[in-house]
Formats: sequence, structure tokens, C-alpha cells
Amino acid sequence: MTIVDKLVQAVQEGDAAQAADLARLAVEEDADAAALVDALAAGMRTVGDRFGAGEIFLPELMLAARAMQGAMGVLEPRLLESGAATARRGVIVVGTVKGDVHEIGKDIAITMLRAAGFEVHDLGRDVSALDFVRRAAEVRADVIGASALMTTTMPAQKELIDILVAKGLREKYHVILGGAPVTEEWIAEAGADSWGEDAGTAVKVLEKAMSDKHASAGS
Amino acid sequence: MSHLKMWEIMERAAEGPYCEDDEFLYDLFLPKMKEVVRKYDIKFDPASPVPADDDLADRVWQAAVEFFLAVGVHNVDTQRRILISAAELNEALFLAPEQHVVGAGHETRFWRPRRIEDERGPFCIFSPDITYDEDIFLQASMAYVQEPLADGVCGPILEESLGRNITSGTPSEMVGVMEHAMLLRNATKLVGRPGLFLVAVGTAQSDVGQVSVSNNEWGVRASDGRLIGVLTEMKTDNELLNKVAHCKQFGCAIGCLTGAIYGGYAGGAEGTAVLETAHHLVGLTVYQHNFNNSFPFHLQYTSNSGREMLWLVSLVQQALSRNSRILSTSNGFFNAGPGTDMLFREAAAHAIASVVSGGDLWTAAPRHNKHRNYATPLEARLACEVGHAVARQGMTRAQANEIVDKLLVKYEDQIAEAPAGKPFQECYEVMKVRPRGWYLDMYQTAKEELHGLGVEFPY
Repeated sequence: MTIVDKLVQAVQEGDAAQAADLARLAVEEDADAAALVDALAAGMRTVGDRFGAGEIFLPELMLAARAMQGAMGVLEPRLLESGAATARRGVIVVGTVKGDVHEIGKDIAITMLRAAGFEVHDLGRDVSALDFVRRAAEVRADVIGASALMTTTMPAQKELIDILVAKGLREKYHVILGGAPVTEEWIAEAGADSWGEDAGTAVKVLEKAMSDKHASAGS
Repeated sequence: MSHLKMWEIMERAAEGPYCEDDEFLYDLFLPKMKEVVRKYDIKFDPASPVPADDDLADRVWQAAVEFFLAVGVHNVDTQRRILISAAELNEALFLAPEQHVVGAGHETRFWRPRRIEDERGPFCIFSPDITYDEDIFLQASMAYVQEPLADGVCGPILEESLGRNITSGTPSEMVGVMEHAMLLRNATKLVGRPGLFLVAVGTAQSDVGQVSVSNNEWGVRASDGRLIGVLTEMKTDNELLNKVAHCKQFGCAIGCLTGAIYGGYAGGAEGTAVLETAHHLVGLTVYQHNFNNSFPFHLQYTSNSGREMLWLVSLVQQALSRNSRILSTSNGFFNAGPGTDMLFREAAAHAIASVVSGGDLWTAAPRHNKHRNYATPLEARLACEVGHAVARQGMTRAQANEIVDKLLVKYEDQIAEAPAGKPFQECYEVMKVRPRGWYLDMYQTAKEELHGLGVEFPY
């Protein structure tokens, strides 16, 4: 088994200490940091797929993501030194809307988005519409993700979009909504761009959205 | 009911050991759950959706107690842990009442804990658990309130009030929760059950919303109940504790609302069973509840009628029943929508698994608990008739397992793509508040199928 395989295995098994140690060893042995990151991303995608299929559960997913972050902490400085871009897929601000304190769905989505290479800024729970907008501007976000678990907090998702419209910023961000009561009909009514029906869907939808955006910018 | 007073809980919520979110999850919750599941050798058996293993039920209980005492409850507002000692927990269990009194007048109920394979019928709370359109809210509420087996009703949720969207924590919520409470109260009067135990109001998400409907004349009475949730997982916040403080002084029954997530932080069926049992201990001590609403659900399907879910639903009720006097209403969350054979089968399987295991019923949330108007009292009626029937005939867990297994075979491969069914308005004559003929026929056919499987209905 190569050191790359060992590193991927340590991440998939959620062994953060081992993953960080192996990443350091790989760097010392002059391994190609960009190739290591690609291998880790592929490994995490497998973990995400297994989670989506119900073969593993949230603890395994979160521990793997944590181990991945540990390894990336070692690899990213090396990437920068070598001049390679970290190749983030996109920048996202995510939170649960005002009046809603439920976080598990948002947290699963964040874990899977980070594993897929997105730069995610977690705004937490009970986030006002204006705070979403301000934070998105601060971090130059591509995407705003707003989660709501209660039918009576869903209107706050629309309020966020209404504020973007009022400020003339609607076209600047891709807005994705999530949460158990959210439906396709609500996405249309609220004026959002997409629906993160589950975390796996959110990743796929946003990968495509970012890909379209980059293609559009390049054309 | 614990000897712990509210101010002791509030003090611990503000001054308990400091612990940030990540530390609570990664250093306490996840390793301790893994440890107790292994230590107490808890293993899911797909062949036994209704297990009949007393020792397993006791091990789930022991694991839950050890987990609860070690981890405590995390207040996310203060980042403090509310810790309860073993002596305090044991005292609370010792002092738990033999019965609770709810409802008023002719609808007064004496609610007592049930034992495994108890021949006394379940306490039945009818609840759609979802939103109805404002213009049919009164009739929908009446449809639930008029159900003869209803010992209590939790009405639908309103998303609009006076034609405007309700947003939690805003003035629209204040108006909406009052409208909800008034319409539900009117429904009980129009149906002739003014004292019926109401668990209300679900429209009130905020603490202010809940406080504003406490009114013995038109709103939620002291003889009624409220639900106060535990956050995912083993967490609370100051707003929830505000509701507890208010309900304690107002005098209404507190229902602790807990839904451990299968596939979530607790992992699979084993950990979810332990966690959901531990949630009841949160209710008993921290919320000082009168009863628990227990709705463990599958992360992917938002339901609890699958094989692994029924196993853990049954096991949680058995663990509680064998080791405590905690009242627990087992809340059915189903995949199919109203007006489908599958929904009747899911409701029956969940009722059988819950009732023979010592639980009471809170039913039912069809179609993944997320589609407006997609619930009717008829699936709840069937579930409660099944619950009373299996109790009355003294059904054993082994017999229940056989029937539930046969029902599962009929629907479990459709869980991912369950039929949507029809909304309330298509199943009921709304203004006359009665099921349509075809719907009653379907319900009757479902009862006949269950009778053929061994359920002896008294009528």
C-alpha cells in the first residue's frame, strides 16, 4: 500500500491523528501535494456516497471530514509554497434562518460540501436575513445557503431573497434552500435558484452551478 | 417529575461546565455512544421488528442511563452542560406519579403508565402533525376532535393567519397562534367535547408565542398540554427553557418532544434506541415533563415505519416500560400519503409495535410529515383501533412480531417511492366533516386485512 493509499484510508476511517501524521510524512517525502489532495477528495467522495446510500452513518462521515481537514491543514501550506492553487470549487455562506435553531441538516450539508472542495462559512443558527447578505459580501461568496426546519420559519428564506432583490444583489449569488419542509414548489415561490433536497443533492446541484458559472465567465 | 426545581435547572443551564459545540459532539457524545452500544452489546435483528428480549430492553435502558449521566444536556446559548446526578435521576424515577390527570369535565382522563403486553388500551392522541390551509383549519380540527378514541388532540399547524404568512418571532405569529388556539377550542365545543385534552399550539414556535396563548377562557388551559422539544441531539436552549419555566407556573402538562435521528449522530438502530431512551430522561429531569412524545425517525425518509425503525420504536418503549413510569406516546411518521393501502398498513404496524411494547399512541404524520393537507383522522383512527384491539386481546410480542413482519413485507420495498395519496379535501367532505364513501370503504378493507392477520377488533 502506498503512502497515498494509507492517507486516504486513514481519512476514510476517520483517524485524524493518523491522517495528519501521514500527510506530514508524505510532504517530507516530497510527494505531489496537489495529487494528494485530489486523492483525498476522491476518497471523501466515496465516503459521501456511502453515507448517501445508508451504508455508513453521520458519525463516520463527520469523523472522516475532520480527518480530511487535519490532512488539508498539512497539505495546504505546501500547495501554496509550490504555487498551486487550492482550486476551491466555490465560496458558500450557510446558516439556519432567523427563528430556527435546527442545525443537523445544515451541518451534514456543510460536511459534504467541504469534502467536495467548497469553501464553506458556517453562520450557525437563528441567522437574520441581513446577516446572510452582509457575510456573503464580506467573504465574496458565490452561493448563499439557507436552511429552515419549521414551516413557520420558511418565510425567512424568502425574506433573504427579497432583501437581495431590494438591494439589487439577486443576480450576484446562487441561492439554495434546504430543510425538511422545503419543497420544489416553495423554491419557485420564494424565488430561489435551487433546492438542496438532501446533502448529496446539494453538492451535485452546486457543483453544476459553479461549473456553469465558471464556463459562463470563461466564454 | 423531579425534585429538582426550575431554578436549579436554570442555574445549571447558565453555570454548568463550559463546553463548546464541537467538544460536546466529538469528545463526549460520539465516543460515549459508541462505548455504551458496545458495552451493553446492543444489536439490531432485522428478523425481530418487535423484539421479545427483556434483557435486551434492560440493556438499552442501562446504556441510556449511563450515556445520559455522562454526557448531560448541552445548552447551546450558554455553551454549558446541564448535568444530572445518578441520585437525582433515581429520585425522579422513584417520584414519577402513578397517574397524570389531563383534560377537564367529562373529558377528564387518568393517564397511567402501561406495561409490556398490557391488556389496558393505549392513551391515544390524534394529531395530523402538519399544516392545513387556513380556510379548512376549523373543519379539519373538528374531524380530529370528533374521533371517539381520541383521549387528546394536537391540532394542525397554521402557516397563514388572516390570509398572511406567519413568520416565527414576529407579530404575525402572535396573531396566528391566537387564531390557532381559538379555532381549536371552538372545534371542541362544536363537536361537544369542550374539556378534551388539547396539546397546543404547534403554530407557536417561539417562547413568546407559547406564552401568549395560555388562557383558560379561549386558549390553552391548565388542563391541556404543550410540547417542548429537545434539540438534535441532547441539546436545549434558553428559549426552550423559557417555555418550561412558563408551563411549570401556568400548570399545564409538559410534553417533551424528542426525535432521535436514525443515521444521525447516534448512528444506526442501536445507538438511536439508546439516544431516544436517554431523551426521555432529559424530559423527566430537565424539562420535568408529564409525558413524552417520541418520534425517532429515519434521516433519509423522515419516517419510522421501516423495519429498523419499528425495532427501535418497540425497544425504546419496552426499555421505558420495564424500568420506569415515564409516559411515552409513540408518534407515527409514515411514508405514504392518505387514501393509500400502504399508509393504513404502516399505521397499523407502528401501532402494534408500540402498544404491545408498553407505549401509548400519538398518530399520525403521513407522507414524510411535510406536505400540507396530507393527513386525515382515518389513518389515526385505524392505528388507535388496532392499538386497543391488540391490547384487549392480550397480544404477545411474539405474535405482534409475526403480524408486523407480514405487514412490512407488503410495504417495505415501497418506502423510498411511497405513493403520495390524496389531501384531506379529497378524502373528506370538508364542510360535513366526514370521510367520503370510497375512503371509508378503503379503511374497512384495511381492517379486514388486519383481522385476517390476527387482529381481533371489538367492533
